[in-house]
Amino acid sequence: MATALEKPPATAERSAAARPRTGLRRHWHLYAAISPFYLLFLAFGLVPVGFSLYLSLHRWDGLGPMEWAGLTQYRYLLTDIDFWSSIGNTIVIWALATFPMIFLAMVTAVLLNSAVRFKNVYRFAYFLPNVTSVVAVAIIFGSVFSTNFGLVNALLQAVGLDQVAWLNTPWGIKVAIATLMTWQWTGYNAIIFLAGLQTIPGELYEAARIDGAGPVQTFFRITLPLMRPMLLFVLVVSTVTGLQSFSEPQVLLQNTANESTYSGGPGHAGRTMVLYFFQQTFDNNDFGYGAAVAWGIFLVVVIFSIINWRLVQRRGE
Amino acid sequence: MRLSRRGLLRAGLAGTAATALGGLASGCAVPTGSTGRNMVLWYWDGGLGETVVRQARTRFDNAVDLRAVKIGGYYRSKLITTLAGRAHIPDIAGLKGEDMASYLPDADQFVDLRTLGADRLKSGYLPWKWQAGIAEDGRMVGFPIDCGPVAHYYQYAVFRKAGLPYEPADVSAELNTWEKFFTAGEQLKKRLPGTYLLTDITSVFEMSVNQGTERFVDRDRHFIGDGEHVRAAWDRAVEAKRRRIVSNLVSGTPDQWSAVEDGTLPSQLNASWATNDIKNGVPRTKGRWRVAGCPGGPSNIGGSFLSITRACREPERAFEIITWVLGAANQAQGFVDAGLFPSTPASYGMRKLREPDPFFGGQITMDVFGPAARRIPVAYASPYDMALGQPVKDEIKSVGVLGKNPGQAWKDAMSKCRRIAQHLGVSV
Repeated sequence: MATALEKPPATAERSAAARPRTGLRRHWHLYAAISPFYLLFLAFGLVPVGFSLYLSLHRWDGLGPMEWAGLTQYRYLLTDIDFWSSIGNTIVIWALATFPMIFLAMVTAVLLNSAVRFKNVYRFAYFLPNVTSVVAVAIIFGSVFSTNFGLVNALLQAVGLDQVAWLNTPWGIKVAIATLMTWQWTGYNAIIFLAGLQTIPGELYEAARIDGAGPVQTFFRITLPLMRPMLLFVLVVSTVTGLQSFSEPQVLLQNTANESTYSGGPGHAGRTMVLYFFQQTFDNNDFGYGAAVAWGIFLVVVIFSIINWRLVQRRGE
Repeated sequence: MRLSRRGLLRAGLAGTAATALGGLASGCAVPTGSTGRNMVLWYWDGGLGETVVRQARTRFDNAVDLRAVKIGGYYRSKLITTLAGRAHIPDIAGLKGEDMASYLPDADQFVDLRTLGADRLKSGYLPWKWQAGIAEDGRMVGFPIDCGPVAHYYQYAVFRKAGLPYEPADVSAELNTWEKFFTAGEQLKKRLPGTYLLTDITSVFEMSVNQGTERFVDRDRHFIGDGEHVRAAWDRAVEAKRRRIVSNLVSGTPDQWSAVEDGTLPSQLNASWATNDIKNGVPRTKGRWRVAGCPGGPSNIGGSFLSITRACREPERAFEIITWVLGAANQAQGFVDAGLFPSTPASYGMRKLREPDPFFGGQITMDVFGPAARRIPVAYASPYDMALGQPVKDEIKSVGVLGKNPGQAWKDAMSKCRRIAQHLGVSV
């Protein structure tokens, strides 16, 4: 790099041309100081990503020699109804989880923000689900949603409704997974909303009160508009996590020892994109196709990111 | 030398780099396998008898440091990653039975056990099990650990109350075909309303496929999942649904366990290792159970192998350890320790295995499992079985659980299989 810049011999330009070289030389230790991140990213980020692209153009069983496959994996991916249905499942589960979650988180945050005692105890309690292992939670939810002895069905029957075979019907499975995700993320997002609420100056509320606004009007005219950045942040984070849901359906729908854990329950209702990727890769030993599925997931995430980005951009205008 | 800040920084960085490089270099010095003294064995919880592993360590102590490591989580993916990474490969590796078909095409990753004289031990092991550890080109990859002969577990009192045969010998003799078994299921349901013979129809399908000598893909990489043998298993599963002898419960859930405990699911077709699951899952049913032969004949679920990886520097020593650990006497101990059903018929007559089991009302369960293990059919397991069996299993599940039309489900399964077969290079 530096040698190419040295070439121009003109004396007038010399000092300008020489600067990059001395710059690099003078500042190399700064580059060295920030290098750990880049080295780690190279080893654990960029190289695996590049390799997965290479892998997706091959057939590989994980051990033997790789076989060039060109674009056939991607061609198959486009026509693979199972992949498309897994995208649908992921989005439905994400929507079922995210919108109630945002609503509940907002309500929780507003409640926490008003003067209550033991505020920190509540904050801790609401945050706890988020740091609990998904696997442990999924096992508990498996019991909660079980047909004959589950808590949910007990409640339904207490109010005179029929029991539902939650983990045995396509919609039941989606609702169960979404409920799990809602439960896990509500507290986390409530804490973020709470932080947002606390940045809203008290004078605004005071002014609103003087102008005769009720609590509902205050919420919709002052709180909500000022919370917009927080809302967007929460939406982005939940999109990222929601599109990657894997452990939830995997553990919730796990079955007896001799059956595949990654098929996503009856009718594949709980088969999310990442679960499908995992099944193809590790159950079927189809590492090449698995890599292609992973790139398919990447494209879906990119599309959602663009949508999110547009939302944020519009706010700036 | 003046000690400047820059100088210090430079020295520090150089030091770090040197350490890192040195670490890498020393890491590379002993990456693969043993140095002769160290011998690493990979297995999983319950994969080998603990007593036997401990004894092996002391027995071979003056020759090697045997380090037996229990690998948790998804065992196969961890082993494959390690083999593909060509570093820190264990010398001896356990291979799970259900993964065996996927290891065999890569037999060159392992030491051919024939070269170490495995053939002279062949007569001591179940022939079908021995065969399952051998690759297509004849190389022997896996040395038999255990197997999982399937039996019919049932609750004595419930069968008696329903007017069905209830002594193990009678159940084995009178419910020996699927047809008689299903008829018994109808009678059970009529006499004791709310009681079902089986949890779901998936088990009927899988058990029936296991009882045959063919599965979904044959040796010539040809899809045979549309053949008569799979179709018969499918029809049998659909019939179980039609005759309403299966419950609407999901196996492995608390619902199923509680139904098992209160006797409304008094019967199950399961492998020998399910004994432990039942004992742990519903301990209060102690004494109520018996085992009998499986309707439709014996079959097998699970059972694993030990292998010697290519990275092992002392294959002879490793082979000595393996054969000692998996000898008939130690396999009997493995059964006591971890419920591993021996692949060595000589163990079946040993006293340890012929103890009357109070959980099964004092029955000597070996009388059922032993003969079943000897008569298990040899089936070819293809590395593509998993990918091409799953769509069929998924569809039979839809029939059983969601009430999907069986004809449509079969058609969907077949069209999906054909597509996947094409993609995987399996001829249709």
